[in-house]
Amino acid sequence: MTLEIKNLTKKYNKHKTGLSDYSITLEKGILGLLGPNGAGKSTLMKIIATISQPTEGTLFFDGVDIVSSPDHIRKVLGYLPQDFGVYPNLNAYEFLNYIAAMKGIGGKGLNQRIDMLLEGVNLTADAKRPIGTYSGGMRQRIGIAQALLNDPKVLIFDEPTVGLDPEERVRFRQLITDLADDCIIILSSHIVSDIETIADEVAVMQSGRLITKGSQQDIMKYAEGQVFEVLLPAADLASFKSRYSVIDTGRQQDQVRVRYISRGNDVVPGSVAAKASLEDSYLFLTQNKA
Amino acid sequence: MKYFYNIIKADYLQRTRSYSFLITLVVTVYIAYLFVPLHTAKYTTLDVPGFKGAYNSAWAGYISGIMTTVMLSMYGFLLVNNSIKKDIETEVGLIIASTPISNFSYLFSKQLSNFLVLLTITGCTFLVSIIMFFVRGTDYPFVFSAFLYPYLIFAVPAMSLVASMAVVAEVFLDRKSILQFIVYFFIFGFTMASIKIQGADSLITLLDPFGLKVITNSITNAINSQFHTHINDTSFGFIFRGKQDFQVFVFEGVNWQLPFLLSRIVWIGISLALVYFSSFFFHRFDFKQSVSKKNNKPVQLTADLVSDEKEMISPVGISRALLPPLVFDYSIFPFVKTELLLMIRKGNQLLWLVNAGLWIAMFFVSLPIAHSYLLPVLLFLQVIRWSDLTTKEKTNRLHYFSYAAYRPLFRILPAQILSGIIVAMVMALPVIVRYAIISDLFAVVNIINGSVLIILLAVCLGIITEGKKLYEIIFFMLTYSAVNKLPITDYLGGAPHDNHLVYISVLPGLNIILVLVSFIVRNYQSRHI
Repeated sequence: MTLEIKNLTKKYNKHKTGLSDYSITLEKGILGLLGPNGAGKSTLMKIIATISQPTEGTLFFDGVDIVSSPDHIRKVLGYLPQDFGVYPNLNAYEFLNYIAAMKGIGGKGLNQRIDMLLEGVNLTADAKRPIGTYSGGMRQRIGIAQALLNDPKVLIFDEPTVGLDPEERVRFRQLITDLADDCIIILSSHIVSDIETIADEVAVMQSGRLITKGSQQDIMKYAEGQVFEVLLPAADLASFKSRYSVIDTGRQQDQVRVRYISRGNDVVPGSVAAKASLEDSYLFLTQNKA
Repeated sequence: MKYFYNIIKADYLQRTRSYSFLITLVVTVYIAYLFVPLHTAKYTTLDVPGFKGAYNSAWAGYISGIMTTVMLSMYGFLLVNNSIKKDIETEVGLIIASTPISNFSYLFSKQLSNFLVLLTITGCTFLVSIIMFFVRGTDYPFVFSAFLYPYLIFAVPAMSLVASMAVVAEVFLDRKSILQFIVYFFIFGFTMASIKIQGADSLITLLDPFGLKVITNSITNAINSQFHTHINDTSFGFIFRGKQDFQVFVFEGVNWQLPFLLSRIVWIGISLALVYFSSFFFHRFDFKQSVSKKNNKPVQLTADLVSDEKEMISPVGISRALLPPLVFDYSIFPFVKTELLLMIRKGNQLLWLVNAGLWIAMFFVSLPIAHSYLLPVLLFLQVIRWSDLTTKEKTNRLHYFSYAAYRPLFRILPAQILSGIIVAMVMALPVIVRYAIISDLFAVVNIINGSVLIILLAVCLGIITEGKKLYEIIFFMLTYSAVNKLPITDYLGGAPHDNHLVYISVLPGLNIILVLVSFIVRNYQSRHI
């Protein structure tokens, strides 16, 4: 099972480009997409989900061009968009039945499948209430359930942990990890720790381009030896921020502990080298200060 | 004052930057072109039996101004009665509610925004009326004031009132769109009917919100003085009389009286007073979540719910191996079922009682009345069920799923069309059955064609404009036409037609075009989010 993306470009108009000459090959496992707002993550996911067409480039799933034959991937696709909605007057059963119809699933086992998915996302007790009365977290869970309805081989999650609280995020990560054995999972998130915990590979994007792709260790190497921590007087923080890429700050009485990227040539006296994390590398790759 | 201006500006721009508004504008410009027909036309817009006005500036300007007032007062309400609703749907209302803006300031800004939208359209018809005067070329001189005054004195106060009525309707009838339509058109119809009842010299003329009695009096006075008759019967609207003998009279405009001019200002004051009054009852976006009445039970934070919020996704997860095997089923019937469910649950459930009453009545009243009056009204009462047939996916942000579904174009769209047609057919069933019993196949085919047309119109306009407004306005105009038996827009075949075969073949042709356009545009949309 392979998803092969070659030289994908998406231009919205003369001045706005969503994706630029993007190439990547995916096999079973979890790919985490990292990038700032406007990096092109959602655009890429929409193209793979066949709801947006590229301006240039090709997209093959198991050797079939899914730009010209989108139904080939749609049968095995699970997609959780970033800002999806629901019909508020339907209850969870009715809604999942509707989505099942979209995916072309029916038969006697459908209701049992829906029951089990609802149980899996813990919505059984509320399944007969209209979805309009659900909380944000509950809606997100029904979104996850619908994505899994058709035993997808390709799962696309665009910011899936938005609206989930910390504990629920942990459960979601576990769920995704369990599914990854026989699936291509593409996951975007602003929360680097979500990606860090579950992704087999990470792709860092910026301005519609793929900056790099590799295992977490590969990505972390970029910032190795570039990350430092230093204690500064609180009053100096503003001027420090204007010169360095600050990753994190923490107050310690009247001083501030600052974690920053030096980019190899300008280490502030008193700094201590720190072990680079995925977040450090991501910021190192996407920020251009110092 | 600056922030007030910014609110109005943003609201106005948001509403006018839409396909729906643009198309409404184009349709209005076309209608404005028809407002002042030539003497050779088979219809008239201000009907005085046996007489037609000479095409001078006063006739062109006043008739155009008064027709704009009447027509825009009628469907302008539909165009602007969603300004607060938009803030509810987008949840911008919650942000507004947390700002220091007073209820009156907010509602007043909405009234002004409504007013500006209506004035934009009025301005366009004003320009069209002047252009048409020159295009048609008459021997009479162009008098600018003859065009300006009727718009300024009739249309502007009327539009202010319509803008206010839309705000008041939204405040008191919340999101009950269909009830808003019914109440507004009852008031509108009553006002129009009262114009005919009022005596020429009655002081009540001053209470006419649209000022129409003044112009009908002026016209009948002009005819009576030029031909020494006693005409007092005038009607507004698109009236088809075919070719009849007529005499031409010269209309020089209205001799304005100060009390009448003051009454126009008073009507603007009344419109603002209505907004002020309604501000005491404005919900300020503090209500329960929008679900159907049946299901609109408050969400109680019960122990179950609280514990559920904490339990979240099952710790054991979802084991794919334990799920039942997949069975593929690509039929469209599950969609039809859901679409029907959504339509049935839409809107106030009490309306089903009204539907049932009209439906049963269609079995027992005379067949022409059932066909020409009850059926169009019953179909129009379903407007909110049909207007979002193809827009609700986007409104509810479900289009991500439906566009990524397996063959959406040949499964979901046909299901939406089919379910709409099923509802329309059920509504029309009593009349269809009665015509079938008396073997009037023409009438049966006309009703089926017409019912399919309004569904396809909903589908096509929804897809093109991605909104409901244009369809609601056009459907209303079609209903108005059907009830008034205007041949050219008689979509249900209730009016007599010269050539049955031509009529019966036009509607299927239109339906095929609508289907083709719908499929082509939706095909593009589904791959270009």
